[in-house]
Amino acid sequence: MTMIAPDPVAPDPKVERALTRRRWLGRLRGGSAGQPIWRQPIAVAALVILGGWLLLAIFAPLIAPYDPLAQSPEAYAPPSATHWFGTDSLGRDILSRVIHGARLSIPLALAIVSLALLVGGLLGLVAGYLGRFVDEALMRLTDLVFAFPQIILAMAVTAAFGPNTRNAVLALVIVSWPVYARVIRSAVLSMRGDDYLSAARLLGVGPIRALRRDVLPNSIGPAIVLATLELGNAVLLLAALSFLGLGPRPPAAEWGSMVALGSQDLSMWWVSVFPGLAILTVVMAFNVLGDALRDRLDPRYAKGR
Amino acid sequence: MSVSPRRLRAGAFALATLAIISTTACTAGGSGGNANGGGATTLTVNTSFVLKTLDPGRVYEATGLTAVHALYDTLLTFEGSDVSKPVPALAESYEASADAKTFTFKLRSGVTFSDGSPLTADDVVFSLNRLKNIKGSPAVTVSELSVSKTDDNTVVVTSETANPNVPVVLSMPSTAVINANVARENGAKDGEDAAQGDTAQQYLDTNSIGSGPYVLKSYEPESQVVLEANPNYWGEAPQFERVVLRNMDVQTQKLTMQRAEAAEISLDISGKLLEGLPETLQTSGVQDTVYFLFLNADPAVSPVTSNPKFNQALRAAIDYQGVAALYGQGAAPGAGLVAPAFPGTLPEGEASTRDVNKAKALLAEANLTNPTVKFNYPAITYKGVDLGTVATKVQGDVAEAGITLELNPQPLTTFLDEMRGGKVALGFTPQSLNYPVADSLINNMAPGQATALRSGWTVERADPAIVAAGEKVVETLDLAARATAMQEWQRLMNQSSPYVVLASNSSTVVATADLTGADYTAAGWQVDVAAVGRK
Repeated sequence: MTMIAPDPVAPDPKVERALTRRRWLGRLRGGSAGQPIWRQPIAVAALVILGGWLLLAIFAPLIAPYDPLAQSPEAYAPPSATHWFGTDSLGRDILSRVIHGARLSIPLALAIVSLALLVGGLLGLVAGYLGRFVDEALMRLTDLVFAFPQIILAMAVTAAFGPNTRNAVLALVIVSWPVYARVIRSAVLSMRGDDYLSAARLLGVGPIRALRRDVLPNSIGPAIVLATLELGNAVLLLAALSFLGLGPRPPAAEWGSMVALGSQDLSMWWVSVFPGLAILTVVMAFNVLGDALRDRLDPRYAKGR
Repeated sequence: MSVSPRRLRAGAFALATLAIISTTACTAGGSGGNANGGGATTLTVNTSFVLKTLDPGRVYEATGLTAVHALYDTLLTFEGSDVSKPVPALAESYEASADAKTFTFKLRSGVTFSDGSPLTADDVVFSLNRLKNIKGSPAVTVSELSVSKTDDNTVVVTSETANPNVPVVLSMPSTAVINANVARENGAKDGEDAAQGDTAQQYLDTNSIGSGPYVLKSYEPESQVVLEANPNYWGEAPQFERVVLRNMDVQTQKLTMQRAEAAEISLDISGKLLEGLPETLQTSGVQDTVYFLFLNADPAVSPVTSNPKFNQALRAAIDYQGVAALYGQGAAPGAGLVAPAFPGTLPEGEASTRDVNKAKALLAEANLTNPTVKFNYPAITYKGVDLGTVATKVQGDVAEAGITLELNPQPLTTFLDEMRGGKVALGFTPQSLNYPVADSLINNMAPGQATALRSGWTVERADPAIVAAGEKVVETLDLAARATAMQEWQRLMNQSSPYVVLASNSSTVVATADLTGADYTAAGWQVDVAAVGRK
């Protein structure tokens, strides 16, 4: 049993840890680790780039100069005043296709990561909280998924279900949920013996309510950071699948398939370079932002640790 | 023992240097066919290998055919890029009976194999029987033929059905004559049971036992095949003493040819890839491939594609000139199913033309508002053309007439499986011929035949005029009249068959400026390396 009146000079470290844990969001504004995000120029640049892409995606039909699917006889026109990024083999305007591509890549990446977070998070919570056989079974399942290279497993899944957007997202969720399950499970494990959980159980709180009210809010922080980092990875994996012809069906404007089209003849460099740059900027921005977030939210990774 | 990081770095640097030096050396050796200072002259042929075997009885793939044609002789052959009429090779002359069932070949005297032994009628009979009886991929071309000798210099080939194209079949590399004695010693069989008993393939992959201008020096099916001039060749010796067939992907071929100086050929640079090559290179191409759509005629599979009005509307909605432009130089809008390289092709002026208003009117007549069809095609690049690009162009064209196509790119094997299953509503595929005669089109694509049934095109669903026109082609024995009948058949096919011919495209030989005779041929072997010489 804990003391009823703890020593005010030296508070019980367990209690303090439990109390500060829920403050992870507060760290965004400064405090324990490093500079606030808006004082880091690289992180700000990443935010600006992502904001720009978001605006492009939302207002694509207003911004894009041409219909991304409209074909014209002007095939393989190099970049010029009329077609800033040139045209592809069917005379489609690459600038418009790159802009419309953001409408596929960014929301799909968000969908992949949130679905994976949902599935992985739930399984991790259950595994960590229930322990024993359930934990063993679920963790061996994650090992099983980890055993395959991500892109190979995703290819196998899309090839089996048939290539289209829904199945590509499904495949990428299937290959990416285990990281979240592991992170959340370990967070849950580290707090399993904590007093406030025991107290809640003594008060008659059932497992579902305890998970929802006490465990989840205290373990989701690291998973959110991981999700931001994984967004870039999701964009990249989706582009890779679609490069291999397993992504959204043509003629949809998707960055990966546009790079694939351009790779057939690299002398028309503009066909693949511009969608490639789009992938590069989005992925880099997500990664930089994820890193900055991690530094802020997880003191263990802070600079100068 | 521990290794210091510095030593590791030094070692890595040394390795890298070595790798660079050896790569440079390889490149210099590979393309230096001309820099030989009195040694053997080498012709380098770059191609993306499609190679399973060099056994004439089993060879079916492009690279294998190129090599086998140089290693072995056939009774007749084709010269240069002309595939209209076979010319004498091992047979100095032949006679065909009036019913086109019996063909008598008079063998050239004094022909020897590369080991010096004479080539006789027995070798011819053995080789053709083996081809037929081991039942490899090329055996279909001779399944109706039987062969016998009347004396040591005369061979008679008989066909079960009237077939004026037997001389063409006997010009194909798979009908090459092999040294029967050496072949038997190494496991070759020619009897009825040869399909199980013949074990000569391994030997024939690494040894050539023919009478052709070259002999096989080395066979590495993943990287290169080296041929050397046959010292005992009965004909005029080839100009190049060595021929190296190198496996190379098409982008690398383009880069290589941009830098090649002499004695180098590439076989796969075609279509759009030809753009940007140096002016000094010579190209030779023939339109021997047609690309067509197939619509399912079975209402149970698709009530839309089986509707004759939809068929007509789809034909009218496609921009054939625009599709042909996607293929780059050497392509043309498709006129008929027979490619321009072959007898019986339709003149280019008869290519279909676009009329979007007509297409809309036809759809309205058929009460089809916004018809939607799934459009299957293999996700491959064929002869330098990405089929997905062509399919997307077709989709964009017909969308203007109000037809929605859902593009469904598939891996090649999946595509072929579904096509064979006969449940594909609308598909897109290229087609090349096994040998330079278009008769096989009638045998496969006329109503009720194997390929036609995959599109649900039975005799009952077809226009009786098409059935009659097809029969007329098969019955006509005179080759010129047969070609005319073939044109009539195609004109009818263009009216109401399930096939919509989009374009015909060239295969191309690209050669350095110093070469002569580097002509592409549609006969199957792509280029006759023995005919390639220097200016």
